[in-house]
Amino acid sequence: MSEVQRRKYSQEERSTIFDGEFMPHIDSMYNFAFRLTFDEDDAKDLVQDTYMKAFRFINSFEQGTNAKAWLFRILKNSFINDYRKKSKKPATVDYQEVETFYNSDDVDYQSTSDLRAESVRDMLGDEISNALNGLAVDFRTVIILADLEGFTYEEMAKILDIPIGTVRSRLHRARNLLKDTLKGYAQSMGYGRNEEED
Amino acid sequence: MPNRWDTAGTKRRIKRQAMENNDASSPERKLQCSDVSKCFQLLERILDGELVEGGPQLLQEKLDKCQPCFAHFHLEQAIREVIKTKCTKQPLPDKLAESIRQMIQDAR
Repeated sequence: MSEVQRRKYSQEERSTIFDGEFMPHIDSMYNFAFRLTFDEDDAKDLVQDTYMKAFRFINSFEQGTNAKAWLFRILKNSFINDYRKKSKKPATVDYQEVETFYNSDDVDYQSTSDLRAESVRDMLGDEISNALNGLAVDFRTVIILADLEGFTYEEMAKILDIPIGTVRSRLHRARNLLKDTLKGYAQSMGYGRNEEED
Repeated sequence: MPNRWDTAGTKRRIKRQAMENNDASSPERKLQCSDVSKCFQLLERILDGELVEGGPQLLQEKLDKCQPCFAHFHLEQAIREVIKTKCTKQPLPDKLAESIRQMIQDAR
């Protein structure tokens, strides 16, 4: 992940790395970009920019290390630097407020007691997607990285440039927020609380 | 790396373990958890395949003996599952890969 230039790859090596290690991740990259921007053209530009940067800085990529994490980090940084500012849906969440509210035993307990695993399994893909898309970008990002892309906490810490402890707590809060939304869906579907529990 | 679990293997083990403990209500389990936040965060880390000291034994104990932990674990597992399997994938635009290859070619 270091930006330090280790060595210079030959033209042939660069092609091999680019085609063999970078391009196979294009589907995941585009999905991530789309879930950040919610716009097909912006997502396309973001992925293109990322690959251009990846090519330009290919010498700082160490062959055989995790190319997907390396690319995701570039994409995330490009998004913050170039797209977040002009994003059509800027983040307006007061994180302090969210962090305080979503960091209590009450919230933890409630988030589970009112929602059942079976009702979650009955939900439609659109409902799951909408719930995820409704989260503020920082919370959405950690869930995408962990659950959709299967990154470890350690990889996420590197991609997001935050300590592992922050990954852990942000993910926990993100999951509580997501459960809140899913709980709303479950109630509107009539899959609310178990009657025996009332 | 010696200090990390094999994530896929760990997840398989956890799944097996959870299936063996799939009985939704058990008289053996206590109905109140004395440390909800700590327990839930621990369960989430285990589900995410992170290294937790004594993870498998701890999980076994929570699933066997604590109803809120049992419910939380299965709910969290269901959410991870639906996110992974049901979230709509955005199809890659037709010519994106091609245009990226072209841009790289031009840049050389």
